[in-house]
Amino acid sequence: MYKGASYKIWSVLMVSPFVIFFLLFWALPLGLGIWISFHNWNVSAGNLGFVGLDNYKMILTSGTIYNNLFITGLKNTLYFVVISVPPLVLIALGLALIIDNLPDKFKTIYRTIFFISYSISVTAVSAIFLWLFNNNGGFVNNVLMSLGMKDAVNWLGEQPYAWLTILIATVWWTIGFNMMLFINALNEVDSSLYEAADLDGAGAWAKFRYVTYPQIKNVGFFIVIMTVIASFNLYGQTRLITNGGPEQSTNSLIMNIQTSVFGMNQLGIGSAMALLMGIIMTVILGFQYWLNYRKKD
Amino acid sequence: MKRSTRKAIPLLTLATIIAILFLLPLIWMVFTSFKTLSESMASSSILPQVWTLENYTGIFSSVTEAPIFRWLFNTTFITAIGTIIVVVVDILAAYALARLNVPGKKVILGMIFAALAVPGIVTLFPAFYMFKEVGLLDSYIPLIMPYTASTMGVFLVYNFLLSFPKDLEEAAYLDGASQWQILYHVIFPAIKPVAMTLAVITFLAIYNDYLWPSLVTNSNEMKTITLGIATLIQGSNFVNPAKMMASTVIATIPAVVIFLLANKHIVKSVTNTGIK
Repeated sequence: MYKGASYKIWSVLMVSPFVIFFLLFWALPLGLGIWISFHNWNVSAGNLGFVGLDNYKMILTSGTIYNNLFITGLKNTLYFVVISVPPLVLIALGLALIIDNLPDKFKTIYRTIFFISYSISVTAVSAIFLWLFNNNGGFVNNVLMSLGMKDAVNWLGEQPYAWLTILIATVWWTIGFNMMLFINALNEVDSSLYEAADLDGAGAWAKFRYVTYPQIKNVGFFIVIMTVIASFNLYGQTRLITNGGPEQSTNSLIMNIQTSVFGMNQLGIGSAMALLMGIIMTVILGFQYWLNYRKKD
Repeated sequence: MKRSTRKAIPLLTLATIIAILFLLPLIWMVFTSFKTLSESMASSSILPQVWTLENYTGIFSSVTEAPIFRWLFNTTFITAIGTIIVVVVDILAAYALARLNVPGKKVILGMIFAALAVPGIVTLFPAFYMFKEVGLLDSYIPLIMPYTASTMGVFLVYNFLLSFPKDLEEAAYLDGASQWQILYHVIFPAIKPVAMTLAVITFLAIYNDYLWPSLVTNSNEMKTITLGIATLIQGSNFVNPAKMMASTVIATIPAVVIFLLANKHIVKSVTNTGIK
C-alpha cells in the first residue's frame, strides 16, 4: 500500500510546510547564530568583520567584561539548578504519593488544585510573588509584623532571602507538572505487587523502596533531566521579581546574554555565549544520561 | 484498590493543608484586586475590609497607556492562529513521515531528533536578528511563525501513529478511498486525542511565552497580555499592588479557564510527552 508516484507527490506536499518552517525558523537561526559568533557583529550596525574565535576567547579569558557576565550568569544559574532541582523533584514525588493514596473520589480535585498554577504565565507568577514578598508593603511582611516580628525581612534585597523567594515562586509555579508525571508513573505500577508486599508484611517505606521506586526510576530520571533544563532556562522570575539583585546575585545566564546583545550591542559575543550555554547544557545532560546508563550495566 | 475514606482522614487533612497553601497566592491575588491602594499595602488579612472596584475601573480608564484589552486581543489572535497552524502542519508532516514513503525521511527524522536536543536559547537571538533585518519586528509574524518550527508536535503525532494499527487505512484503501478520504475519515478521527493534546500544549506555550515576545515587539499596541503584565510590573503598577493584581486577574482568567476546560487533555499530554 501507499506506493507509486502519486503517493510520493502527496507525501512531499504534506511534509513540506513543516520542513520549510523548520528550516526557516530553526535551522536558519541556528546556522546564522554560529556564523555571527565568529564575527564582530553589532545589533544595530550589522557585520563589522570576521574575528575567528576571538569572541569565544574573550568570553573565556578572565578579566574581560564578557567573561564576568558569562561566568557570573553561569554561576548564578548553576546555583539555582542545584537548589531548585531537588525540591522540584522530591516535593513533586511527595505530592504524587499523597494523591495516589487518596480515595479515588478525591484524586481529581486535589490533582487539579496542585496543577492549576502551571497554567499561569511567568509574568503573572512574578507579579503575585513580587507583591507577596515585597520588602515594603508586601503581604508576607505585613503578616509577619502583625504576628509581632520587629523588622521587615528584606525578601527581595538580601540573600539568601532573594533566592528563597525565587525558589518558592518557581516551586509553586511548576511543581504540578512534575507531580503529574509522577502520578502517571505511579498509576502504571502493578497493584498486585503491593498486595504481595502486604502479605509479606512490608511497611510503607519498604513498599516504596522495593516496589514503587524500581518501577518509577526511569520516569524519575526523565523528570530530573526536564527539571535541569527548565531551571537552566531561568529568566522571567529573576528578571521580574528581583531584576538580578541584590548585587547581581540573581542575574541568570540568559539575562546576561541579553545584556551582551542589547545592553552592549554585541550580537556576535551574545551568540557565542548562547552557543556555549547550549554546549554546557548538552554536556551536563549527556553526563546525566551516561550516569544513568552506566548504573544499569 | 479502594481504601475507606475514614482511614484516609489523616492523609486528606494533609492534602487539604497543602491545597490551601497552593491556592493561597491565587486567592490573595483575587481579593487584593478588590482592596484600596492603601489597604493593599498595609493589610495583613486576605479579605478586604473595604471592597472597591476602583482597580478595575482604573484599568478601563488607563487603556491608552496600558491597553490591556488590545493585549488580550493580540494574545487571542496569535494563540489561535499559531495553534491552528502548528496542529495542521505537524499532523500532515507526522502522517507523511509515519505512513508514506517521503523522500529524505531519515534526514527529516534525524533533524527532528537533533532539534529536540538543542536548547532553545541557541536560536533565540539570531532569530530576533533575522526578523529585524527583514523589517518584520513589531508585527504579528514573529509572534506566530517561530512556534511552527517546534519539532515536539511532529514527534508526538509521529510516535502516536507508529503505535496505531494500519488495518483501517488498508481497508479503506482496498475499498478505493482516495488519499484525502483516508486522511479525513480514518486518520483525523483516530488522532483527535493527540491533536487536542498538541493544541493545548501549543496554546499554553504561546500564551505564556515572555522572553521571545519581549524581543520582537516595540510598541505598546503589539504586546501580548503576558508581556503586558511584565511591562506593568516594571512600569506604572510598580507601586500599586491592588491595581497590579486586578491586571493580573484579567490576564490570568483566560489561561486558567482554558486549563480547567482542557484539564483532561493536559493530563494526557503530560503522559504522552512530558515536554514543558
